[in-house]
Amino acid sequence: MEIILNDTVDPKDLRNFRHQYEDQCGRGVPSEKAQFEYAICLVRSKPEMDVKHGIALLEDLCKRTHDSDTKRDCLYYLALGNTRIKFYEAALRYCDAFLKIEPQNHQVRDLQMHAKKKLRNEGLTGMAIVGGAALAIGGLIGMGVAMAKK
Amino acid sequence: MAAGPYNYSYIFKYIIIGDMGVGKSCLLHQFTEKKFMADCPHTIGVEFGTRIIEVSGQKIKLQIWDTAGQERFRAVTRSYYRGAAGALMVYDITRRSTYNHLSSWLTDARNLTNPNTVIFLIGNKSDLEAQRDVTYEEAKQFADENGLIGDNVEDAFLDTAKRIYQNIQDGSLDLNAAESGVQHKPAQPRAALNNDQVPTDKGCQCATV
Repeated sequence: MEIILNDTVDPKDLRNFRHQYEDQCGRGVPSEKAQFEYAICLVRSKPEMDVKHGIALLEDLCKRTHDSDTKRDCLYYLALGNTRIKFYEAALRYCDAFLKIEPQNHQVRDLQMHAKKKLRNEGLTGMAIVGGAALAIGGLIGMGVAMAKK
Repeated sequence: MAAGPYNYSYIFKYIIIGDMGVGKSCLLHQFTEKKFMADCPHTIGVEFGTRIIEVSGQKIKLQIWDTAGQERFRAVTRSYYRGAAGALMVYDITRRSTYNHLSSWLTDARNLTNPNTVIFLIGNKSDLEAQRDVTYEEAKQFADENGLIGDNVEDAFLDTAKRIYQNIQDGSLDLNAAESGVQHKPAQPRAALNNDQVPTDKGCQCATV
């Protein structure tokens, strides 16, 4: 899963698909194909801003398309994009939506497992930070008490 | 010298290409996990798998990118061809249209990979002999005309690696080239070249089933 998540788009490809999409936007409503291609390049781009832009385009496409395959593929990339920018809760919502349609899809199940693990680890790290802070404060108070006694 | 399973001398990049539903992902799973998947959903974008194999006593890690066959992904998956040392081109022997589209896949493979990339042709679903729509002979002829090779799944992956390895040994594949699709594992000393190998013929290097 890490390999797929770390696999980034070639900037040249991103530029080409952006031109295609923007050309079509200039002439009216872009085709679903152009929007899809540009969006899935964006969610595989390095800058977080690109990924967020890709997510917005995919959400828009998911709403406007009547094609069930396009919808399915958008849900996967929405889960992937959100995982890449560490929005694990959003990613898991998209995984759930996808798995309602196709419960056995291993690409999405792998992604779901990864996001769940990351979310759990983050929770543990968060708790460790809070715990650490509590210990530090406790230590300071202890020191204060000790000094007061002196 | 006994090498552990994670000790390998080279990394070869492979891509699997071909029409939707020909069984590309099933081939990948069969090869990397030795499991047969009866029902593979359409791949979204790309999938990735690895397996370590042995060629002439050298351990080689295959990094395999399995691309989606749906037309909607065609433009985007082209970027995965870059730097591939081997390309497995798959069609379904029971669906002639998938065979007819081979020339278009071959054009992409030739244009987007380097001249040394080994292209292997696989006629999949040979267990469905009764429904065969493409004869072995015509596929063989197509392969011969285009200089392509092939046999069963295991052989497809291994024979491709053997060809790539031969290209390294006879010096026709420059490992320093950015897009050779081969990485020499830096932590290990470079394997001595075995010059006993018969050099492969130049030009297109492909395979068929």
